Amino acid sequence: MKEIIKITFALTISCMIAASAMGLTYTVTAKAKKHNHHMNVYNAMVGLLGFGEENPAPSDLKFLHVYRYIVEDGDKKFLGYMVPVEKGSEEAYEMVLMDLEGNFVEKLEVPISAEKVEEDLDRAKALQEVLAPPKTFSYADSSVVATSGGKRLGYVMPGKFPGFRTFIHALVAMDPKFELLGLEVMEHEEDAGLGKNIEEEYFKNQFKGKTYEKLQTLKVVKKPLPVEYKKYLEESKWEEGMFTEEDIAEIRKQYKDADIYAITASTISSKAVTDGVKILAKKFAYRIGKLDSVLKKEEIHAAF
Amino acid sequence: MAIQEKTNRQLFVDGILSENPIFKLALSMCPAVGISTSVMNGILLGTAVLFVQVCSSCTIALVRNYIHPKIRIPTYTLTIATWVTVIDLVLAAYVPVAYKAMGLFVRLIVAFAIITMRLEMFASREPVGKSFWDGMGMGLGFMFAMMVLGAVRELLGQGKLLGFDILGFGPLLYFVLPCAGFVVVGLMMGFFNWIEVVYNRRKEA
Repeated sequence: MKEIIKITFALTISCMIAASAMGLTYTVTAKAKKHNHHMNVYNAMVGLLGFGEENPAPSDLKFLHVYRYIVEDGDKKFLGYMVPVEKGSEEAYEMVLMDLEGNFVEKLEVPISAEKVEEDLDRAKALQEVLAPPKTFSYADSSVVATSGGKRLGYVMPGKFPGFRTFIHALVAMDPKFELLGLEVMEHEEDAGLGKNIEEEYFKNQFKGKTYEKLQTLKVVKKPLPVEYKKYLEESKWEEGMFTEEDIAEIRKQYKDADIYAITASTISSKAVTDGVKILAKKFAYRIGKLDSVLKKEEIHAAF
Repeated sequence: MAIQEKTNRQLFVDGILSENPIFKLALSMCPAVGISTSVMNGILLGTAVLFVQVCSSCTIALVRNYIHPKIRIPTYTLTIATWVTVIDLVLAAYVPVAYKAMGLFVRLIVAFAIITMRLEMFASREPVGKSFWDGMGMGLGFMFAMMVLGAVRELLGQGKLLGFDILGFGPLLYFVLPCAGFVVVGLMMGFFNWIEVVYNRRKEA
């Protein structure tokens, strides 16, 4: 008995020391870690919209977040979109509730500032005030509308879909006509030399420029990637004079409606990404359409 | 045991060659098979293991007289887990570039046999200085083995080394697949044993 108490005591003390060490490190590093993650996503989004060193982003480029919630009131279910609205010079947020068919139900002002809106906890707190019980809400997802000079440049959707190993986290960007601007793989655990190639340019750039119509029927084909197309896709490896303007236009025309060439020996990963992008894009296009029509009908002046 | 008489330098060299964690002790085979698909993976995982091994070895050597013998294994696991978490958080916060490449590997280490085994066999009995050099040797030995495996598999599987195209084509995709890990580890183990036998025979002659 005495022995067991001694062991319990020793183990408890060790656990507490370990926990305090971890907790301390977390407190010290949390802010920097969040900042890094934020910058990572921001840079990826800027890159997806086609801006880079040679083509700097406009100074008034803004990423406006739209948060989607599922709101329940008794046995009734609503979709809630939290959108930034124009209100004088300040940015305010409104919760637009609609039923499952997309008919407008109600709009509510959400008391939250622009700095706090990206924090999940702060957002939930602010929403608690306007959506008091018996109404309950749960966060579904968010997407980003990129604007510059009051015009929409495109949409960026963060998404998560099952890959060969675990979930693949990716960003998909579309222009206002729902043509794909690109794909960026943020996090994944696919195998090196196989599924890991989804982050290679020759795979992810294949999605660039696919129209919304093509996206409906986009397939993965198990054919070798044509050499010329591969060279064209690997943009960062371009050398001067490798492609003339006409060459580029020619290749683009030729492969505009091509399906996705699977990565050798990684058909499952290739298919997972392709399906993920398709579903993400389809759902988003449908949702933003519904949201836009409601915003227009109800004369809600969203900031995008 | 002979360990007591070894100098720091011997400890260090032994970890890399005659007591190499993968080729000699046959520990931590899961990462050796699963992750050694390229040289870069080997370097990254090796660095991560090196850090965690050295930090954990020193910690355990410091508190070795206070550890209750019946709960020493949980204490080791706890120590490793703490160091892994701390390194993971610090990398994520201050060295985001390294974190992007290494983050996944760092988190894998908690379950590595080699670290627990070194804590049990060595750090819990020896002073901090010696444990440090043992940790360094084991960490570098692991890195060396992973790099050798990675080089063979990357060259034969993808025709590349460190991401640079060497052959221009991948001769045998088989070497990238997990099952080839076993084959390459086995062949390498045999190769290193053979070298040792030859070396010892020459020494005797």
